[in-house]
Amino acid sequence: MMNCEEFELCGLDLDRRDAEPREAAAAAQHAEVCPRCRAMLESWREVKGDLRLLCEATWLHSAPPRVEMRLKQELRTRREVRVPFRRVAVATWALAAVAVLAAGLGWRQWRDGNARPGRTVVPSVSKPAASRGDAAMLLADSDTGAFTRLPGSMPSPYENQTILQVRMQRGALGRFGFPVAQDRAAEWVQVDFLIGEDGLPQAVRLHQDSQTGATLQ
Amino acid sequence: MKNVDEKQDALLKRAVRGDEQAFLALYQRHQSALYRYALRMTGSSWAAEEVVQEVFLLLIREPHKYQPERGELGAFLFGVARNRVMKHLEKAPREMSLDVMNADGSPRNEPEDPLTPMMITEKRERIEQVREAVLGLPTEFREAVVLCELEEMSYEEAAHACGCPIGTIRSRLHRGRALLLAKLELLRDTPRRASAGAK
Repeated sequence: MMNCEEFELCGLDLDRRDAEPREAAAAAQHAEVCPRCRAMLESWREVKGDLRLLCEATWLHSAPPRVEMRLKQELRTRREVRVPFRRVAVATWALAAVAVLAAGLGWRQWRDGNARPGRTVVPSVSKPAASRGDAAMLLADSDTGAFTRLPGSMPSPYENQTILQVRMQRGALGRFGFPVAQDRAAEWVQVDFLIGEDGLPQAVRLHQDSQTGATLQ
Repeated sequence: MKNVDEKQDALLKRAVRGDEQAFLALYQRHQSALYRYALRMTGSSWAAEEVVQEVFLLLIREPHKYQPERGELGAFLFGVARNRVMKHLEKAPREMSLDVMNADGSPRNEPEDPLTPMMITEKRERIEQVREAVLGLPTEFREAVVLCELEEMSYEEAAHACGCPIGTIRSRLHRGRALLLAKLELLRDTPRRASAGAK
């Protein structure tokens, strides 16, 4: 049998759904025989009824619609912020991928270059009639004027010769053994040199408009 | 229950990705209980509104704070709401009594009551008195009364919500009930039928 102290501790749980059946039965039994505890139980049941009224009165209460509106707004704002961020992220990754690809290709080229011994990079020099095709063209172009072989030069096959066009002072032709009129030595003339396989000039000719002041033998 | 949790987790994942419908589904499911709890604890509809808003803003801004392996989403949200309520109670003295009016000042619509006007007045008075008495309880006792008597949680659920042992909840509820009895007897000026409350 429950005493008053025990009833005070758990007697008011009598009506609770989760009350232990044995404890609840003992409390009910005690309340029947103890007027003080019965009065307390009745008093509590009255308060419990009022609490239920309060509960019912506020049961349907919920946050006002403006809270939902504010939260929706926040969600939308965050979504809008997130989309450009995603684009930036994609662009960043794409750039990084391109950079890695470029670095990889560069490294591969560098490695391939190092892997071929003896190969040297020759800077391209643009000079007239540097190639065989160009030489043929220039020879064809200058068919009208004959070349004068330089003294002491060894003839070499035409296909190995190159024409080099030079603008020089007429007086300089004297170094190749040509007679030059001294009064016109300072004039500038256009000269074609026929360069042999050994890289030395083998023959020379003056352009039509330059021939008057110089005699080629 | 597990299915519900899984569904809620899936909703949360969608909500975090910006799915408004998923977020609203979660909001509608939890806001009412959180609002009632905050309202009953603070006695202020403004404070309750703020609490609910802060709880869901946290869910939007820092969803990673919820870890499904540590508990249900509802429990997490309640925990956040509880922290906010406690902060509010620490900062502010108890505000004016709640719920007579809406936040916009209009009278709150209560369900139609098939009682006479006098009975209605008496009922409202009783509700006001018990509301006052609940709000007048110290925070920890008030919380036990709100959870166990108004929200009708079991001791186990209330203990889980408050993060304390069941014995603590039972003890707080016991003290809360006693104080409530005593306060209501004083408010109603009724003869004291039980001495337990003042002990």
